[in-house]
Amino acid sequence: MTLALENIVKAFKKDVVLDGVSLSVDSGETLVLFGPSGAGKTVLLRLIAGVIEPDEGTITIQGRDMDGVEPEDRGIGMAFQNFALFPHMDATQNIAAPLTARNMSKSAITETVNRIARMLKIEHVLHHKPKELSNGQKQRTALARALAGEPDILLLDDPLRNVDAKLRFEMRLELPRLLKDQNATVIYVTQDYKEAMALGDRIAVMNAHGIEQTGTPSEIYLAPANIEIARLFGDPVINLLDVIPEQTEGGMRITLSGVPVPIDGGYGEVAGRACIVGIRPEALRFVAEGTADAIPLTIETETPLNEKTVTLGLTKNGREIMVSRPAGTPGPAEGTGFIAIDATHVHLFDRATGNRIVPTERHTARSQGAA
Amino acid sequence: MNTTSPLERVLRGIAITLVILFFMFPIFWIVLMSFQTNATILQVPPSIFFEPTLQNYRGLITGQLVTDTSSLEIKFMGNLFNSLFLSTTSVAVGLVLGVPAAYAFARLKFRGSEDIAFTLLSFRFAPPLLVLLPLTIYFQQLGLANTYGGLIWVYQLIVLPLILWIVRGYFEDIPADIEYAYRIAGHRWWTTFRKIALPLAGPGIAAAALLAFIFAWNNFIFALVLASADKQPVTVGALAFITASGVQYGQIAAGIILSIAPTFALALYAQRYLVEGLSLGAVKG
Amino acid sequence: MTVLLKLAGVDKFYGPIGQGVHAVQNIDMDVMKGEIIALLGSSGCGKTSTLRMIAGFEETSRGTISLAGREVQTLPPVRRNVAMAFEGYSLYPTVTVGENIAFALKAAKLPAAEVDAKVKEVTEMLEITDILHRYPTSVSGGQQQRASLARALIRDADLHLLDEPMGQLEPQLRTLLRGRIKHYIKERGLTAILVTHDQTEANALADRIAVMEGGVLQQFATPQTIKEAPANLFTGTFVGEPPMNVFSAQASDGGGQLQLDLGDGVHLNYASDAFAPEVRATLLARKDIMLGVRPYAVQRDTAGAEAQVIANQWLGDQSHIAATFARGTIVLVEHDRADVAVGDAIRVRLAPEDLHVFDKDTGAALSHGTHLA
Repeated sequence: MTLALENIVKAFKKDVVLDGVSLSVDSGETLVLFGPSGAGKTVLLRLIAGVIEPDEGTITIQGRDMDGVEPEDRGIGMAFQNFALFPHMDATQNIAAPLTARNMSKSAITETVNRIARMLKIEHVLHHKPKELSNGQKQRTALARALAGEPDILLLDDPLRNVDAKLRFEMRLELPRLLKDQNATVIYVTQDYKEAMALGDRIAVMNAHGIEQTGTPSEIYLAPANIEIARLFGDPVINLLDVIPEQTEGGMRITLSGVPVPIDGGYGEVAGRACIVGIRPEALRFVAEGTADAIPLTIETETPLNEKTVTLGLTKNGREIMVSRPAGTPGPAEGTGFIAIDATHVHLFDRATGNRIVPTERHTARSQGAA
Repeated sequence: MNTTSPLERVLRGIAITLVILFFMFPIFWIVLMSFQTNATILQVPPSIFFEPTLQNYRGLITGQLVTDTSSLEIKFMGNLFNSLFLSTTSVAVGLVLGVPAAYAFARLKFRGSEDIAFTLLSFRFAPPLLVLLPLTIYFQQLGLANTYGGLIWVYQLIVLPLILWIVRGYFEDIPADIEYAYRIAGHRWWTTFRKIALPLAGPGIAAAALLAFIFAWNNFIFALVLASADKQPVTVGALAFITASGVQYGQIAAGIILSIAPTFALALYAQRYLVEGLSLGAVKG
Repeated sequence: MTVLLKLAGVDKFYGPIGQGVHAVQNIDMDVMKGEIIALLGSSGCGKTSTLRMIAGFEETSRGTISLAGREVQTLPPVRRNVAMAFEGYSLYPTVTVGENIAFALKAAKLPAAEVDAKVKEVTEMLEITDILHRYPTSVSGGQQQRASLARALIRDADLHLLDEPMGQLEPQLRTLLRGRIKHYIKERGLTAILVTHDQTEANALADRIAVMEGGVLQQFATPQTIKEAPANLFTGTFVGEPPMNVFSAQASDGGGQLQLDLGDGVHLNYASDAFAPEVRATLLARKDIMLGVRPYAVQRDTAGAEAQVIANQWLGDQSHIAATFARGTIVLVEHDRADVAVGDAIRVRLAPEDLHVFDKDTGAALSHGTHLA
């Protein structure tokens, strides 16, 4: 274990941002800290970096207590969301900052800077000052600076936030390889669930209450701990409908639009309990009229979404349902459509607590590795 | 929307010219006066046509003040040197003390930091006369009266709050993340202060130094009371132009020109540096 | 369908006409009644200037803007009968969110009951019923933006202008609200122009997209047309996520087959009749071309060219695979969870009907699929 946080408490004046947060990260692992703004992700990174100090709790890096250890002695690299480049230094000097701190020879520094610049494709702008760099180049320079010192721990604070969509996509594909090559332990902060799923070996989902769930992308997506987490992952957002499951001869079922929908047999005692059913839009599919147990849907509108087509429809009771399907596949654009539910992708949540009700007799896809 | 008619442009030009004339005229007049004898200055009506003379400047530089009736020795060049020395040294001392203090006030939030910073600023509010009498007595007892050291010390009352408050603002404008980034890269805080904070606050420090220099240069009351003839700056030394036989307007004008020359040159030199401003473009996306 | 809004030869100069910054260059555009149009482009492309000229907040330097049958380019905003939602929210801070939304209706002296009914309808759609009694500064950025949108949509205007209407919205709500807003606009037969830098938003909402870059209208067409027949390389790569794969290639005649050399040992061979004869002739005549293929159109095929997987990212309902291919990287989208790992070799096929060919120098489209552009 490279990095461990135990019971971290941090308040600014009376505003408690972190209240007993614990987290451990394995060597060489990329852990994504995911959550909405204001959850304290950035504060957590700064505590690890040592630029602010916790009110309570301990931070250990490589088994060493970091209490009183200055930021420059922690062996970390960090990329900031706002880049935080040194405006009076050119890109070379920026990238070289971690190297000049260690009395490296000039030629060794030049060599390292050039190697990293080549890797990040910024060798042509090395003599530019930050204000002469495009946003994408700034972002890469900041990343290069964080990597240059070959730190044991790399803290990346939403580094793709301020770059355009195309570049963000490119970097998302490039980053994992880059990070693995560095062999560093990475903590990556983001608000974008796609980035979290694409980059994380594990994801820690954080909200105002602290870390709510930690797991592989599969675990988080396929077995979210509660409604809030289910809503944070996936676009379009998961469909959530109030239901009360009933026990029938044919097994446990819920009723949607008057149509009975069987659910997994593993739910023992949920009959009669106020629940919310969560169905991901891609777990719904359009079927022909007359298909058994198909649910009729009044189609409101169709909106394309990144190679998917999202249909917004109303059930008989006026509840909204979103259905997502690969672009180019058939589906109704107006009028009435009929949908069938893939029962293995149905989640049941307790309406009172919002927590997911875990079926006992079913193996979820948790054993599958990360993407 | 932003198109202006030619008429508007002409009118605007005239207005600007008038304003400039209004403010620049006294300076222009003083320049003219410095090249005239008292006689031509005082003639009625005044004329901008006259035979220029360098006698005022010659008098100041040689130290011989020649009036209509007599010749008087004055130490204008000595005063000028005193002004230069006192102001420069005061600002230098002020920077050495004030810049690190400003950094501390900007970056470290310690108990009472706001109160201390405000107390320092409040020195600027109090009328100097209030402290002058006790100060004079102290200085005499301490042997600081009529020394450069004593004057420079008192001048800190003028210089230090100014530097502290201006420079503090500039330090606060530097995003802390930039300094954090340098620390995390492996540099000590002292190196970070020198390599990041100081260069980035450079224009601010220059502006504060310039302003402090002007304030120190223009000081009159402290020097009047605490310094005798050989330590007096030009502001006090200029009193010598009011002689028994009349006010020497020509020499005063020449003295003014000579004494504003250093600050003027400094301002001109620093202007381009000041205007450059903070280039923190890298921080904002 | 009737033309509601007509832009003819519209120019915008910042500074003197002919000398200043030429922010919008000679735009012609017809918007039909009931259409939703997206002005799409990156910052500084001229889209916001265009919108502001239509609204009347910006002087039209040259050209005419006709709205509902009358020329409006010299009229002040209030006399154009347009409603606008601003990017910076711009709610009146001194009145509640509810009063903000009802403001124009009350000013028009509508009966209170009718105002209430309309406010209820639009605020329910945008899920802001719970903040109607609060003041704008006390609600989140996303809520302010929805309130601003409500204030514009509730109005009965000839034209609704929406400037970056969803930039601040909570991501979980975005797709749902897009669907509802589109339905709301369509149901009432409103005509709307939205400005956005987000191609996803443009695709989701618009009937037609006007892609702008450098003040020039690059293409004005349906999302489908832009996807299938982008007018040039810029439009092709700007619209679509993941973005279109682009490779430089050399076309040659390989013994009857059309051969595309992508470099690094990748040669794609197409049967002589794979393309229409005129496409084939064009490609062979140009020789140096740019080849584009959309990520979802890249097929895995055992007979295809080899590529080395460098990333396989599963996003829950899509897998994005990146692989080194020719002189660059090729990206594939699959709708199932793809079972390839980093380091694997895959074989990809670029079918002739999925190829977009662009001029190497000008970027203009030469052919889409098997036919000329």
